[in-house]
Amino acid sequence: MQWTKKDMELYLGSKEYFDTAIIPIIPFQLSQEANIGKSTSKREVLSVFVTEIERELSGRLLLIPNYYYLEFGDKDEEAKRLNNWTEEISKQPFKHVFILTFDAGWKRHEKDLDANLLWLPGFQTDQLNSTEILQMIRGQVADVVELIRSYW
Amino acid sequence: MSEEKQQVSRRQFLNYTLTGVGGFMAAGLLAPMLRMAIDPVLQPPSEGEFVNVGLAVEDITTTPQRVDWKIKQVDGWYESEPGRTAWVYKDDNGDIIALSPICTHLGCVVSWEGSEDHPNQFFCPCHDGRYTKDGVNVKGTPPLAPLPTFEQKVENGMLYLGKAIPRKGA
Repeated sequence: MQWTKKDMELYLGSKEYFDTAIIPIIPFQLSQEANIGKSTSKREVLSVFVTEIERELSGRLLLIPNYYYLEFGDKDEEAKRLNNWTEEISKQPFKHVFILTFDAGWKRHEKDLDANLLWLPGFQTDQLNSTEILQMIRGQVADVVELIRSYW
Repeated sequence: MSEEKQQVSRRQFLNYTLTGVGGFMAAGLLAPMLRMAIDPVLQPPSEGEFVNVGLAVEDITTTPQRVDWKIKQVDGWYESEPGRTAWVYKDDNGDIIALSPICTHLGCVVSWEGSEDHPNQFFCPCHDGRYTKDGVNVKGTPPLAPLPTFEQKVENGMLYLGKAIPRKGA
């Protein structure tokens, strides 16, 4: 389910079936112009990614709205805020909270996070809608879905 | 002569002309707006009802296989290309069956033989919902209705799929 009125009504009606939440976290920056393409693709690809994951598991997984942070900001601060999000979600109760990111910088802060960090290597593409790219994303999505299911 | 003049007074004449001209101007302004507002209704229904899913009929076996395709969806002014998925196979009579993979419980995507414990069934990973090969829900599992079937047609040996039709609960 997504955080929309229609989906949330369904969710509230069958809350007992939902125990997994996923937070996509997306970096934002304007200062390193040479790396803008890299940064924007993190957002674009991750959006496609999480939509696909949500589609596969929509009956048990709640897709939390995107969390944005400054790409070169203080990750300790962000970790604290993210833990607040995780706490808000966990007490619903959600048994499994995942954080999905393409930003390798989080790997070093994994131990500070209360949620499960899923870091995936991102990629840049100009043709997000091409069949090959979608095929590739689908393959990766299947793996992530498999991983999430292993927690159930 | 003065009587004829009385029939349409200057005031009336001006009233008529102004109303007439004003009416034309208002109509001229409103017509394109109205046309614009109801434009989607006037568009001919799109041919995209059935979509070639890129699967040749001869490649369809008795084992369900997953096909993914995209449809063009026009919602008023908003155009999008949402993805669709189906499980396609031939039944014992050789008829093509195309089932929607959307679990009728809460909408997860089911897969054929998704669980090793339940061969020859569709399995929903979310809450262990199960369906037999013809898409009918197994009693005692969460789903309460069978999987919807897709409208289908075959042209030049290729499979075309249309809308998913929900079926009544078993």
